[in-house]
Amino acid sequence: MAQKKQVLVLGAGAGGLIAGNYLAANGYRVTIVEKNDYHLFQPGMLWIAFRGHDPERYMRRVTELVKPGVELVKGVVTEINLAERLVKLSDGREFSYEYLVVALGAAYDYDAVSGNRELLEKYGDFFSGAEHARRLWQAFSSMKEGTLVIAAADPGYKCPPAPHKAAFLAAETLRERGLLGKVKVVLAVPFVHEYSSENIARIVAPKLREAGIEVKTMFTVESIDVEKKKLYSLEGEELGFDVATVIPVHRGPLDKVEPETAVDEDGFFKVDKHTLRIEGYDDAYAVGDCNNTPTSKTGVTAHLGGEVVAERIMGYNAVFTGRTNCPLITDGEALFVISDYEHPPVPVRFSKFKRLLEDMFIAMYWPSLRDPEKWSPLFRAYFEATQPKILAKLGW
Amino acid sequence: MAEKIVVDARNMACPGPITKLTKAYRKAKPGDIIEVLATDPGFKPDVQAWVQRTGNELLELKEENGVIKAVIKVTAKK
Repeated sequence: MAQKKQVLVLGAGAGGLIAGNYLAANGYRVTIVEKNDYHLFQPGMLWIAFRGHDPERYMRRVTELVKPGVELVKGVVTEINLAERLVKLSDGREFSYEYLVVALGAAYDYDAVSGNRELLEKYGDFFSGAEHARRLWQAFSSMKEGTLVIAAADPGYKCPPAPHKAAFLAAETLRERGLLGKVKVVLAVPFVHEYSSENIARIVAPKLREAGIEVKTMFTVESIDVEKKKLYSLEGEELGFDVATVIPVHRGPLDKVEPETAVDEDGFFKVDKHTLRIEGYDDAYAVGDCNNTPTSKTGVTAHLGGEVVAERIMGYNAVFTGRTNCPLITDGEALFVISDYEHPPVPVRFSKFKRLLEDMFIAMYWPSLRDPEKWSPLFRAYFEATQPKILAKLGW
Repeated sequence: MAEKIVVDARNMACPGPITKLTKAYRKAKPGDIIEVLATDPGFKPDVQAWVQRTGNELLELKEENGVIKAVIKVTAKK
């Protein structure tokens, strides 16, 4: 039997680990390049920033998350040359490949909006690592009165319900401390409605009201005056704050990609939305937040995309459907925003059972990254049972 | 010089069209014309709400063969 192909995976986030480990379980020679020692469960940043959780709870060493036999390289990818099948690292090392899986996530541009970097330095945020999330917790938890503003600099950010979850968790903490009302929580969204999808906005809006959260729609942060404590919006309005956090503008992960036509104007890899193959190449894929698929940037899409890419490299005709499953958490309840390429988010209900399900997903997170071949059937059963075309008729 | 910017958001589900409009608006200069094409039916009320909030001028809003066309003149930017 011919030796199985060699696969180079860039990034040990959810998409990269699932693709790499799945291929390794099937006998492929896999190399994963990752710049960090630790993998961060990104939704955990919300709990660190607004509930004061210990960051360690949401971090694991990358070495513990790769299968035996996978070669793990610590390094920073600076350049990809698709025509020459070459990847360059910041220390000058070069790697060639038979198959390439780009899973480098999205990068943040804190300079796209003036004052955003200064705001980050002062108050932290819940997008760019455990340290910044910890800083936000320190700023937020020391508030005794005033206004907390949670806002975004662009509508195209990761995890559409993230700022809503942030607001719900912040309100929960304030209520427990008897400070809700003295500290006002303002959620400013860059959408026409309270949530990006109107179907979901209708369900979430009353919950936000109940939780005592003030919502400002159509507020896309254009500039920040940290001194005067004011946010200014592209739509022409302003909001004062005592503590604020603004989700930064996202862009693609690399400055140098050859050919330049492989990425769009924001630097995201242009892929076929069903196969995740980078346009024009049959040996290179891009998974998760770093690609330009017209679906939400979430852990679920990275997870499912990782499986699809691994299976396609193995020779199966796997197809990425654009499926999302974004959990929106309130005090003790949750709902999942479920959609795919063919179906916009279906109306769903909040329930305690879904909160339990979300807590189970979090518990399953680490083993599912390391052993996707074992956990995949379970996830598949869930995703099949909850397809939007089914839920659109049933409601859930 | 005022420019015409065309935003093609056809076949994008909500809120894709408004997201693309917001991105184009960030880069636009006073006097520019932004033309948005969309197929999502939610875009029509959304763009009306957006124009009202931002104070820009809606020159045209029509639907033809399932495609909604909105033409906006950037008047609210300084």
